[in-house]
Amino acid sequence: MKSTAAEITDRQGLTSNGAAPQTGERARVGDADSLLWRIVRPVGMAALFLTLWGLAVRWSGSDLFPTPGNVARGIIELIQKGLLIKYIVASVFRVSWGFTLAVVLGVPLGLVLGWYSRAFQAFNPFIQILRPISPIAWIPVAILWFGVSDAAPIFLIFLASVFPITVATIAAVQNMQLVYLRAAQNFGLGTGELFRQVILRACLPQIITGIRIALGVAWLVVVAAEMIAVNSGLGYLIIDARNAGKRYDLVVAGMVMIGLIGLILDLLVRQLEKFDEVRWGYVGRRK
Amino acid sequence: MKEAVISIQNVSMRFPGKRTGEEIAVLEKVNADVARGEFVCIVGPSGCGKSTLLNIVAGFLEATSGEILVEGLPVRRPDPRRIFVFQENGVFPWLNVHENVGFGLRRQTHGKRDRIIARYIDMVGLGGFESAYPHELSGGMRQRVEIARALAANPDIIYMDEPFGALDFLTRLKMRTDLVRIWQSEKKTILFVTHDIEEAVQLADRILIMTARPATIQDVVDVDLPRPRHLDSPGYLEKRDRIFQLMGMSLRVGETAA
Amino acid sequence: MSMRKVLILIAVAWLIAITLVHAWLNLHVFDSRGAATTDHKKFRIGFLPVTCHLTCPVTDFINKQMTGDSFFEPVRFNGWPELKEAYLSGYTPATFILAPMAMALREQGVPIKIVYLGHRDGSAVMVHKDSQIYRMEDLRGKKIAVPNRFSNQRLLIFRALKNAGMTPQDVDLVEMPPPDMPAALYAQAVDAISSGEPFMGQTELDGYGRVLWLTKDVWPNFISCVLAVHEDMIKNDRDTVQRLVDGIAKSGKWIDKNMEHRMETARFVSKFYYNQNPRLLTFVLSKPPDRVKYTNLALRKPDFEEIEKLGREAGILSGRAHFEDYTDASFVTDDTRVEPYAWEPSEDEEHGR
Repeated sequence: MKSTAAEITDRQGLTSNGAAPQTGERARVGDADSLLWRIVRPVGMAALFLTLWGLAVRWSGSDLFPTPGNVARGIIELIQKGLLIKYIVASVFRVSWGFTLAVVLGVPLGLVLGWYSRAFQAFNPFIQILRPISPIAWIPVAILWFGVSDAAPIFLIFLASVFPITVATIAAVQNMQLVYLRAAQNFGLGTGELFRQVILRACLPQIITGIRIALGVAWLVVVAAEMIAVNSGLGYLIIDARNAGKRYDLVVAGMVMIGLIGLILDLLVRQLEKFDEVRWGYVGRRK
Repeated sequence: MKEAVISIQNVSMRFPGKRTGEEIAVLEKVNADVARGEFVCIVGPSGCGKSTLLNIVAGFLEATSGEILVEGLPVRRPDPRRIFVFQENGVFPWLNVHENVGFGLRRQTHGKRDRIIARYIDMVGLGGFESAYPHELSGGMRQRVEIARALAANPDIIYMDEPFGALDFLTRLKMRTDLVRIWQSEKKTILFVTHDIEEAVQLADRILIMTARPATIQDVVDVDLPRPRHLDSPGYLEKRDRIFQLMGMSLRVGETAA
Repeated sequence: MSMRKVLILIAVAWLIAITLVHAWLNLHVFDSRGAATTDHKKFRIGFLPVTCHLTCPVTDFINKQMTGDSFFEPVRFNGWPELKEAYLSGYTPATFILAPMAMALREQGVPIKIVYLGHRDGSAVMVHKDSQIYRMEDLRGKKIAVPNRFSNQRLLIFRALKNAGMTPQDVDLVEMPPPDMPAALYAQAVDAISSGEPFMGQTELDGYGRVLWLTKDVWPNFISCVLAVHEDMIKNDRDTVQRLVDGIAKSGKWIDKNMEHRMETARFVSKFYYNQNPRLLTFVLSKPPDRVKYTNLALRKPDFEEIEKLGREAGILSGRAHFEDYTDASFVTDDTRVEPYAWEPSEDEEHGR
């Protein structure tokens, strides 16, 4: 009506939905949410955990279980032998390929199955049957098909990742807001354009969540996947350390490296969520 | 009556019942016409099927029986020449304001496109927000983006399904003013669904009153008041009361229908 | 659109980068050494890091020392299932394997031929040193870990039970990978363990295990692991098989020639092939010196008939295959005439792998 109403609305319009104001005010040291504290908290937690671990080993008098000190020395030993980098590269290489194949196959497959209900009816039982089968059960198949090479662990990692990705994509498409489809059809989009411009983009936040989970699974499966007579990798390190006798310090060292790299991978994927094209999907859920 | 651009002929709609298995009749032989350049409102009680009717007219749903003719041709699917404005969440959250408004202009050249987008962003009063994303805007601003998007595509007809329903009172008033202003300058045909009788009287040339389910058009009221309409003028109040009466509602809050 | 393009670019660049680094570090694709070995027709032979398969790395090592290169490629596996599957898929046309397992495969129609033994003795049953188990009868109702249902250790326990007047139902047998057995015994999750060395010796060396009995005391000249090859390999490339068996036989004689050779074996095998503590192999190869033996390895029918009999009783063999079916003893008929490798360790030996 009058200009006052206009002013009120526009000033209200600047209120965002849950996105906290960035930088400036919040970055003072001493503020509970500043970057410094965000690092100190988890690090402090880790230090506490390591102390408890070391104490527990000493109190129990266990001969076999390593202390954090043993593990640290094990890691240094691996670095000195030049093995640590080699093993990390080998595992990351296999996860990279297995996971990428899972995304390249799983996302389009999920889009199609989510959209065409007849295809979904045909394929979904298959997927649900294959999904809970542990990758370890696939090892004999992997050896028979791919022999003893990098392809076999890559195949296992692919299997472990493709299901979470496909299922998340299907769910995203099936739960997509109808209004986006109607609006897009209203503007005359054909099927191909509809998929690329609307369906994929509307589902992208959920797909990325599925990818995050799948990456965690892929990395988790690396130990099992490297049981197949490959001679490098963090999973191989753990299995070999078992065979070598009492090297449980190396076993735990391998576990620690796997955990740390898993953390880094997760942080990287989280960065994907910051892009404008998907940021809207996560708004309002966390600070 | 000027030539009918939209002709709703004997439209009935039945949905399969979810629980009982029996069919639910939502619309029963609805007939109406809309002339070119007219602003027509459809009002009715909640759940009477007004949105369903509008979706059928726009081509998103298929009527169980009857036909919709637009420009003399039957409607089978949605068409970019007739853009639908949704009640909320119609804007695409993965595109910013500029890209949303330009969504219907994909086939234009870059320069022309940018000019059209700028014009309509200004028209709805969102200058300066071109790179903002919908989740950063208020509800009212998002609806304005949607209206700008609809207008930029230069449709012949605009369908609006309770577009201001999710907004607060003051914002609604402002939006209505802006909408009338735009309609007067762009001269589009608008078919507007609302449950708010005052809104209908403030906006429409003609008001179609629907009954409860199974709905049909019970009355048609011409609103021949000049614009801009004063909310306290006797003509306005008379029309409003007339509609209240026709819908069997009382003017006293707390009293049941006569 | 920009996000998509950026991501695709990063993904492709990453894949290329990680593949190159992996190939450089782990696959030796850029090694000049790698190129030279590809024109030899080297076949692969599978083994596990146990003393039962010791002749395999020893043959490989001595050949490399004497001639600069080996004529086969040893492939180490971490468990019996993977070893078996690699053989079945043709990846390893020759392999060390449990005798009953090879016999069972033959019964199922797999074209496998045992050509030589891997060792004699070299197994034991260990209990926790604090336990009250001193005789077979003390194992009544207790849990015993064996490597595999096709293992001779299991058959051995059946035989020992029979001798003590007990039946398999009197004990609780569980299958467990040999590397896990020492820890299980330490934690007393099982009461007794039995597998090939060096895992038994490990419990002794670390001070919590005690020998209940060594196989040489219950079943003298016990055989467990054998060398087997694919039947086609014998048909198509008999010379190579002969060379292989000769090499394995000579290694066995070499190891058993004197204690110095055994110590040397422990040193290079643990470092270059098994990735275990040398102390462990040293202990197992010397205390007592006849804990495991590598001579007298020609195939003899009575040994296998004993296994057939026990296998049938234990239910793992059906009796369909006989000695002539699953063995080919023609490669070394008289092992007393085999000479050990004429090689002595010297100062410079950094060509391990």
